Amino acid sequence: MDDVMSRDLISDLPQSIIESILTRLPIRDAVRTSILSSKWRYKWATLTQLVFDEKCVILSNDRCKVEDGLVNFITRTLFLHQGPIHKFQLTTTHLQCCPDIDQWLLFLSRNDIKELVLELGEGEWFRVPSCLFNCKKLTRLDLFRCEFDPPPTFKGFLCLKSLNLHQVLVSPEAIESLISGCPLLESLALSYFDSLALTIRAPNLKFLCLEGEFKDICLENTPLLVAMSVAMYMTDDIAEHFEQSSTCNFNRFLGGVPRLERLIGHIYFTKFLSIGDDLGRLPITYAHLKVVELNQVSFEDMKEILVVLRLITNSPNLRELQISGSSNTLAAIDAPDLDFWEDECPSNCTFKQLRVVRMTDMSGVPHEMEFIKFLLANSPALETMSISPCVYVMDGRLNMLIELLRFRRASAQAEILFIQD
Amino acid sequence: MKSYIWLQTVDGSIQQVEQEIAMFCPMICHEVIQKGMGSSKNYAISLPQQVNPAMLSLILDYCRFHQLPGRSNKERKSFDEKFIRMDTKRLCELTSAADSLQLKPLVDLTSRALARIIEGKAPEEIREIFHLPDDLTEEEKLEPLKNATDDPRIRLLNRLYAKKRKELKEREKLKVTGLLISMFQNVEVDEELVDDRSVDDLLSFINGDDGDSKGIKTSKSKKKNRRRKDLLKSTSAHEATKNHNKESNGLNSVCRSAEVGQILPGVGATTNLQDVEDDIFPNKNEFDDGDIDDEIDPTLKEKIDREVEDFARRLNSDWPERMQEILSLGQEKKPVHLSLNGKGS
Repeated sequence: MDDVMSRDLISDLPQSIIESILTRLPIRDAVRTSILSSKWRYKWATLTQLVFDEKCVILSNDRCKVEDGLVNFITRTLFLHQGPIHKFQLTTTHLQCCPDIDQWLLFLSRNDIKELVLELGEGEWFRVPSCLFNCKKLTRLDLFRCEFDPPPTFKGFLCLKSLNLHQVLVSPEAIESLISGCPLLESLALSYFDSLALTIRAPNLKFLCLEGEFKDICLENTPLLVAMSVAMYMTDDIAEHFEQSSTCNFNRFLGGVPRLERLIGHIYFTKFLSIGDDLGRLPITYAHLKVVELNQVSFEDMKEILVVLRLITNSPNLRELQISGSSNTLAAIDAPDLDFWEDECPSNCTFKQLRVVRMTDMSGVPHEMEFIKFLLANSPALETMSISPCVYVMDGRLNMLIELLRFRRASAQAEILFIQD
Repeated sequence: MKSYIWLQTVDGSIQQVEQEIAMFCPMICHEVIQKGMGSSKNYAISLPQQVNPAMLSLILDYCRFHQLPGRSNKERKSFDEKFIRMDTKRLCELTSAADSLQLKPLVDLTSRALARIIEGKAPEEIREIFHLPDDLTEEEKLEPLKNATDDPRIRLLNRLYAKKRKELKEREKLKVTGLLISMFQNVEVDEELVDDRSVDDLLSFINGDDGDSKGIKTSKSKKKNRRRKDLLKSTSAHEATKNHNKESNGLNSVCRSAEVGQILPGVGATTNLQDVEDDIFPNKNEFDDGDIDDEIDPTLKEKIDREVEDFARRLNSDWPERMQEILSLGQEKKPVHLSLNGKGS
């Protein structure tokens, strides 16, 4: 027998490589390697990352069978596992409130768990057991559709760097104290909360993602914030509540983020920022802000336009700007104050680094056109300006084009792209 | 004026490589900077033994492409995809070589490729691709879905069939079975003889033809105990129905050991035989519990069954008191087994 031909090719590679290979396999295949040969019996058992999803079990129409199969598989895997488990991820729509999950979490809390991702199904939400709060080494926590109720003695996860709560039932005080209690927190994502009023104090926070009905957000202490994405679904009563208040939302939200590099605002974000008294000159300059994307900006609301202007005129290094207009073209209550653009608009600001501008969902309202004119006149380095009209506007397109042709361009290389659908 | 680094591969051959390419490997970089090696032929850097000239050439190709900063991500990805196309043997060697040079991006790339090869394949296929020895016995696999039915009796039945298949093979080789049984009839049990034989001896005798006794014996105890318990539970249940033999399991296992291993089953520690019994179930991994071996001639099967029964009866009649004694000894040692056995009686 030819010795070279039959020599085992792979079993003697260092364990770190074997783990590297096994980690890239779906967990079911990784565990199945235990039956390959005697050397492979327990190679999988020291994997530090366990990712479970519905591919672990054969799908069938019998929901109970799938649930049981999944529970069995996970329980047996954990039981046969040796050594620390650093990452545990479970993504399934089949399990919701299941006593086995409590047991798994207890097991994990004793095994130095560092990253925990629980994405569970709709239905009765899983109540996170108290053993989770004993996981001292936790660096990442992602919870989907759970109930999160920290005990009063809980001070926070001292090592936590990334927190993602999506559709999680938790009291606002608990969230605030959780955020404050995680001094190393760098990435925070909160989505689908109802009427959440939040003050965020996170000295190391770099990435922020908010989506949901927020009553109020204040970034009190986030000096290192680098990127944020905010989608605020405001109901009418929240909007009303805001009208009453006099605090300037712009300053409260964007007043303390000098290192910001990317800003993405979704629906109602500019409206939210526009509320409150204008306190005049902005105290900080966004020297690092390079990319700004604002969606659903209503160019019929003067205050929102002011917000946009304020933002971009304080961002000397802005490179990319994307704005989408609000498509509800309500009849203007008063005639648009076009004099603003001549009189009050800051005329000596130049967007020296602005290269790309995308305006989408344009309805051709006067303020929109003036804004585009303003940009074209003050962007010497502009390369592309693309404009996409709103789908509902058919007649006004020709007028838009006629006006666009007229506008002066500060940049000789600027291309204006009118994108029809 | 280009500067070169001198590298020596495991076969002794020395070559020089452009500095920026060689320094892409952290291990070489370390040798140059920390130890000042590689500047001349006499001070060539000795590369780890996993790096033969062919591997070195591949690795240098990789480095040559990736060390240029101007490449776009798309270009790099496309290069990687083409680069990784090679036979599995070379891929494994390359992984090992890259790891020894601490070239992590290449290790990641090859690991990903190896994972893609393994993913979704059946164990036999994987064994064939990587030349893995098929040296596992039938042990509990973490596959809750593989057993079409979870009935322990059916699983035991399958195991017994497979065992009988194997036994038939062995019977052809060793014609001693009949001889032993007749020996047994004539000679009163020479207990001392039997008792002296260690389990290892028994094992090597049984597995002599297989030439692979060690692998089976060294299975982890955790798994062995679990399986043993399961096996005994189902064994006793099964045997009770099969042989209508209400004696304790000790006897039954004794019988079976006899027919398979041609050993005088000792009246020696029943417990030892339990070990032996477990280990001599040489069911291969291909053996799917769902499959029932149709090859065994039913008449032959009946013949075997009858022999088992005869043997059991013979043992019972000859030394009932002795058996009681042995069993009670066994009981003290490992109560677990007998309590499970009790289930079947």
